[in-house]
Amino acid sequence: MSEWTKKSPLELEDYVYKEVRVIASEKKEYRGWLLTTDPVSANIVLVNFLEDGSLSVTGIMGHAVQTVEIVGEGDHRVREKLTPLFMSGDCAAYSP
Amino acid sequence: EAPGSQECPVGQQSQESREQRARAALRERYLRSLLAMVGRQVRFTLHEGVHVTAHFGATDLDVANFYVSQLQTPIGIQAEALLRCSDIISYTFEP
Repeated sequence: MSEWTKKSPLELEDYVYKEVRVIASEKKEYRGWLLTTDPVSANIVLVNFLEDGSLSVTGIMGHAVQTVEIVGEGDHRVREKLTPLFMSGDCAAYSP
Repeated sequence: EAPGSQECPVGQQSQESREQRARAALRERYLRSLLAMVGRQVRFTLHEGVHVTAHFGATDLDVANFYVSQLQTPIGIQAEALLRCSDIISYTFEP
């Protein structure tokens, strides 16, 4: 178990909409915009914007997370794209 | 938002409610991301460098297991399966 699973919801919230680099078990490394962290399992959800305009969503299991590092602050445009994600139940609406 | 007060008890209470609000917002977002994954083809990275793909079905409330179908494993296709989340490092899908 890493420090990550012990963070409080307010601490977890500081990472939302930030660009992060996550190091997980077996030297796996992930990068993307952090959409949310499940406060129950500490699972992280990262979003990556692909060149064709679609999205890729990656979940990293909380038990496997070793470190989470903020590598970029989200600008206004990123935030606008991430905020409505999954919130309406109509994901297609978010493709350009 | 609580009106600004410097008194300690009010401060503690608002800290607690801020924490609760953050917990609810993070959890709701997470559950909605799982909802968006239902029926999608998901690629799972397991320990020891094993990769499998399957259609995501459901999870339990403490996210301990993923129920999947059409699980493609190195030794064949399993129609229905439960993946233990402790065996999973990450999963990826395209909504």
